[in-house]
Amino acid sequence: MDRTACVDLPALPLQVLLLGRPGWASGPAAVVGRGRIRWANRAARRAGVRPGTGHAAAVAACPALRAAPVAAAEIATARGRALAVLRGFSPAVEPAGGAAGTFWLDATGLERLYGSVDRWAREVAGAVEALGLRARIAVGFTRFGAWAAARAGLGRGRVVFADPGQEGAAVGRVPLARLGLAPGLTTTLERLGITTVAAFAALPAGGVRERFGPEALRLHRLATGRAWAPLVPPPDTALPVAAARFDHPEDRTDRLLFRIKERLDPLLRQMAGRGEAVAELRLGLGPGREERIRPAAPACDGRRLLDLVRLRLEAAAPAGPVEELRLTAVPVRRQPVQVELFAARPRRDPDAAARALARVRAELGNGAVVRAVLRDAHLPEARFAWEPLDGPLPGPRPRAVGMRPVVRRLLDRPVPAPEAARAPTVAGPFEVSGGWWHREVRREYRFVRGPAGLWWVFRAGGRWYRHGEGP
Amino acid sequence: MAYVPLWCKSNFSFLEGAGHPEDLVEWAHGLGLPAVAVTDRDGVYGAVRAHVRARELGIRLLVGAQVAVGGRPLVLLAADRDGYANLCRALTDLWRTGRLDPGRLCERARGLLALWTGGQGLWTLREAFGDRLYALAARHRAPGEPRAEAALRRAARRAGVPVAAGVEVLYPVSERRPLQDVLTCVRHKVTLAGAGRRLRPNANHALPEPGAFARLFADDPAGAARTREIADRCGFDLGQLRYRYPEERLPGGATPSGRLRALTWEGARRRYGGRVPAAVREQVQRELAVIDELDYGGYFLTLWEIVRFCRDRGILCQGRGSAANSAVCYCLGITAVDPVRMGLLFERFLSRERAEPPDIDLDIMHERREEVIRHVYAVHGPDRAALVATTVRYRARSAVRDVGRTLGLPDTALDRLCRAVSGRGPVDAGAVAEAGLDPAAPALRHLVRLAGDLLGFPRHRSTHPGGFLLGHEPLHRLVPLEPGGRAGRTVIQWDKDDVEALGLFKVDLLGLGALSQLDRAFRLLEAHRGLRLSLDRIPPDDPATFDMLCAGDAVGVFQLESRAQMAMLPRLRPRTYYDLVIQISLVRPGPIAGGMVHPYLRRRSGEEPMSYPHPCLEPVLAKTLGVPLFQEQVMRLAMAAADYTPGEADQLRRDMGAWRRTGRIARHRDRLVGRMVARGIDRSFAEGVFEQIQGFGEYGFPESHAASFALLAYATAWLRRHHPEVFLCSLLNAQPMGFYSPATLVDDARRRGVRVLPADVCHSGWDSALESIPGRPGRFAVRLGLRTVKGLSRDRDARAVLAARGRAPFAGPGDFARRTGLGTRALRLLAEAGALNSLEPDRRAALWEALGRPPRRPDALPLPAPPPPGLPPLGPGEAIRWDHAATGLSPRGHPLEPLRDLLAGRGLPDARAVRAARHETRLGYAGMVICRQRPAAAAGVTFLTLEDETGFVNVVVWKRVADRHGALLATATVLGVTGRIRAERGVVHLVADRLWDPGLPPVPAPASRDFR
Repeated sequence: MDRTACVDLPALPLQVLLLGRPGWASGPAAVVGRGRIRWANRAARRAGVRPGTGHAAAVAACPALRAAPVAAAEIATARGRALAVLRGFSPAVEPAGGAAGTFWLDATGLERLYGSVDRWAREVAGAVEALGLRARIAVGFTRFGAWAAARAGLGRGRVVFADPGQEGAAVGRVPLARLGLAPGLTTTLERLGITTVAAFAALPAGGVRERFGPEALRLHRLATGRAWAPLVPPPDTALPVAAARFDHPEDRTDRLLFRIKERLDPLLRQMAGRGEAVAELRLGLGPGREERIRPAAPACDGRRLLDLVRLRLEAAAPAGPVEELRLTAVPVRRQPVQVELFAARPRRDPDAAARALARVRAELGNGAVVRAVLRDAHLPEARFAWEPLDGPLPGPRPRAVGMRPVVRRLLDRPVPAPEAARAPTVAGPFEVSGGWWHREVRREYRFVRGPAGLWWVFRAGGRWYRHGEGP
Repeated sequence: MAYVPLWCKSNFSFLEGAGHPEDLVEWAHGLGLPAVAVTDRDGVYGAVRAHVRARELGIRLLVGAQVAVGGRPLVLLAADRDGYANLCRALTDLWRTGRLDPGRLCERARGLLALWTGGQGLWTLREAFGDRLYALAARHRAPGEPRAEAALRRAARRAGVPVAAGVEVLYPVSERRPLQDVLTCVRHKVTLAGAGRRLRPNANHALPEPGAFARLFADDPAGAARTREIADRCGFDLGQLRYRYPEERLPGGATPSGRLRALTWEGARRRYGGRVPAAVREQVQRELAVIDELDYGGYFLTLWEIVRFCRDRGILCQGRGSAANSAVCYCLGITAVDPVRMGLLFERFLSRERAEPPDIDLDIMHERREEVIRHVYAVHGPDRAALVATTVRYRARSAVRDVGRTLGLPDTALDRLCRAVSGRGPVDAGAVAEAGLDPAAPALRHLVRLAGDLLGFPRHRSTHPGGFLLGHEPLHRLVPLEPGGRAGRTVIQWDKDDVEALGLFKVDLLGLGALSQLDRAFRLLEAHRGLRLSLDRIPPDDPATFDMLCAGDAVGVFQLESRAQMAMLPRLRPRTYYDLVIQISLVRPGPIAGGMVHPYLRRRSGEEPMSYPHPCLEPVLAKTLGVPLFQEQVMRLAMAAADYTPGEADQLRRDMGAWRRTGRIARHRDRLVGRMVARGIDRSFAEGVFEQIQGFGEYGFPESHAASFALLAYATAWLRRHHPEVFLCSLLNAQPMGFYSPATLVDDARRRGVRVLPADVCHSGWDSALESIPGRPGRFAVRLGLRTVKGLSRDRDARAVLAARGRAPFAGPGDFARRTGLGTRALRLLAEAGALNSLEPDRRAALWEALGRPPRRPDALPLPAPPPPGLPPLGPGEAIRWDHAATGLSPRGHPLEPLRDLLAGRGLPDARAVRAARHETRLGYAGMVICRQRPAAAAGVTFLTLEDETGFVNVVVWKRVADRHGALLATATVLGVTGRIRAERGVVHLVADRLWDPGLPPVPAPASRDFR
């Protein structure tokens, strides 16, 4: 008979919060989102803090409360780690949608591998708890039964049902309030006196659909055993990898390139078969060194990729002999390009520019290609910033300048210029001050007649600095 | 050489200026400047405050405003009265349309000076303003400024416009720059780190010293000198505003004075049955003479007209406050208290010395106040009647929140800090530490400093609920008008302090729930008992009513129902109307803080002899047994013992009301104490009196005000005693009002034998009503109305129910749903409230049916619905819980009633047993918390009122106990208390040693009155 298990990580966001802040676990703690309490630990609940309460009201009720938001990415990471662990215990693992820490596992036949289902369940729970996450597991015969038993924490968080009858009886007694259903549904059912799974299952299906909608009906059908849904494991999103460990460490770049080519070509063929191209190639050269190489456009051409790899390795050769090699390709779906026979060739070739920039990045590093962006600030050096140019090269967008700037050249950083104190002032002074909330800046700018033209200088803290030059 | 700052924005340029208007004036005066302009953004909000301070300091104030034309600021200054009227008109246009049309502005250029700061429209302005247009070269040593100034000078030269020098002043001193940055961020809803160039580039927006200004414009001394020329051309002063009160359309060419006299004497004859007592005649003549002399007749006529409108339409109203000191107001029917019989002081209301407009507040039954407001607008029009504004100012918590957000602090930290600071501040490092934050962290040090600076700053304007300014001429010649919240409403840019400072007339139309209740009660009595009563026809001095009050039994009685008042009633034991006046005045923070309560009670009970420190004080203090309790007594005392004139005495009253803010009371100390000592009054008494004045000045009632309220208190008490079902029914229908939740009112009424029936679709109307009790003629039960069902719409749902019921009785729940056409939500609300019980006695079955998809059309075929599944029946406790959840009250019982056996099993007594316990008995008790209070004067003591099915228990929680059980004390629905009984003079308190959670099954959370 098929066995289905469910692993539930109760109040996962709260667990994630306390994992990051272990000192908070001993007192009242809560996850806050959009100003409201989302999850609260037992100490907080005991002090009157309830999910849904505004944070300010919660602090009023419990002055010792510690609360912070938890980013969706942190929860996703924890789920991902748990999923990776669970995949080691079952051929089919299906995580629940949303942010819930619920997973269904196919447990059929695993008792032969682990000796007993009970032992399997114990090891699953132990492996998840080794991640620092509290887990409840139930092994039953139906998706709903295992889920309800795990959510309710039957058997102190670990239960293995011997037969479907036992599962049905135990789950029937589970209070609906412990299943974490939509709050409105639970409340309405409770007002009708329907507080257990068995009482819910005893309601007429038509009445449930009419009153509570299709989602409640789906739950009802699952609870009554009238619906069945197979496990749907998500596709494995592991990246295509080619790896090798060398018996004789490689200390020459040309030979290393040859070995890379040997592994890159099959990798590209494999991806081409799936209609994919390489958006980024990660080149692992042993512990602590990984190079990321991005072609100008998603590539299937091994020569062009290898050329970029060569540039990178020649610019920054490995510090010593390479013992292992790991190529990881970040794939994207290939986009077919329609060849236009009679299209006019543009005067500028952006593809060629992109290829050139890709070579610059390969040789000088990924941060080597940047562009200036304007920022809204008073300090000259804060009015623009350099940001990496990752995407396609933007076209020119010239803009009319109302007032031509007097400063033609801005120094990367101001340089001391004591001679400015004696130089004749052409214009100024102008004062720029601010930043008092972080690091106060007070500068008195002026234009002075420098030795070879106009200087843009400022005085700060009694000293003179040159910041730019005029015509 | 001195200059004149022409472009200064105070903190009434909301979230831009970082200095109070008074500060700007004071700094300008301190710098030796001859004048200063206050030119707030889009208004003259701060002008009155600046005017008052400038008048005190003897510096000239130029009144103006900054508006935006073509996206650039344009400063307008009033040169004369016409110019000021045009300024107000232009600002009114701006607020009405959302932008200032340059064409409209040019039409209003007469009497205005304009300072152009650049941008478009110079030639248009030149044409309209002529030689009253200047270009303003404002310098702040900001990069880019010289180029813009050069462009401005070129344009000005081409147009032949003279250039004046200036600075855009945003704060008096440059130390205020961080605060200005914060305000800018609050206005733009950004953090400081992300504000960029929304912030000013430097701190050069302070009021410059004359020398610094001269250096700043060393290259243009003519421009600097032109500031004085401009100031000299501004001859307008707010003191020139001559306000004429609207003269009513008077019959037969009568003058306001003559009409007022005629109406007053006519009213006097009606009040006194045709024979006006000599004392009244003398008082009325004296008052009319003062009113004539001050030319205030029109104001009284307007109030009379409003009162007449109310009477004609059956709207209960009554004047309150100092107006009750006036015999004229009494004769006109504006107030209900006879000031001559009460010996009230007219000068508290109006005096020659003060020559300030009287302040008449009119209480109107709150349900119909809107009709009266609409009437005022209809009579005077939106140009001649406008509501007064209120200024919403920063308090500690709002300051912490806004400053904290601009500093980028997380909301969770700000929540904690807001919890640690009290509403009025201060915001200090102690509070930061208490919130578990590091006071040494730079961001928090900034927060403490800036939030402290921000306290009291205006944040935005709102509308006074009922304060009107009425004018003979359009009000937009006097003050800019802004659109109100509702269509057709207008709001002036000044608040009541501004209006008062300029001596303008204001009419306050205030809503009062007690009048709504009384109106409903009188109608019920007439409909069900044939009794035609009104406020002045209620039998006076009814012993049974006073017996009830002496027992401290006053739940729902106007002004006497609070925990503190009910605890005082058995000690004061009121037996007359005047006792109620004293009772109402005595339980106030002022007399309590002034230490007047116990001396009065001791003298009243004969434990302490009555004595007067000087015979001249006996007439003043005799009626309060030698203890000064009322503001009027302080005035009389000053007049009798320290030779104050009536007007000076009123100034003393005003100063003591404001002593915390201004310290003006100090100047009375020497005079008052010195003269009393010179008259032979003991110095210690004189100083004691002065301390008492300080203590209760801010929170004490005037006797006249208490007298007006005592009338209503007596009326509601009489109703409660003699017609409890009428009292409850009217009180429920007048909700929301009063101290207690409807649940407590219903429970109290049930304890007193009133039968309360649940809301029912087959019997209830929208309001609660009286229903004859079968077999008991002349006895009525209160049938709860559909209005008690939370969330039910009157216009849609209740109307459909009543209309369908009017056609034919309902045959069952299906028939009800089909014929009313109600949606699932409304059906569910009714089912949960038990309002379908007549059709389906099982509430769960009714809910199941309600949740099913109801037929959309009333003429749908009445198909039989499948029977509901077997659902467990509601237990008694559950039924009460459902009632509370759906209606906030239960006619079926108190939530603790079903748990009584459980509580008794634990040895816990009910409230009746606690109240009967002996002094010093130690016991435990558990009850529902219906009130938590921590008065400021009580040094951290918390007072709780706990309730069960047998009544109330008053609990005193000392600070040390409260600190130990903070969370439980603040949040528990049902609280266990162990402590000792303190029983004195019929007042029983349980003084808590320990608080605990009784661990009972779920009990509905009542609407507890917490810390208000």
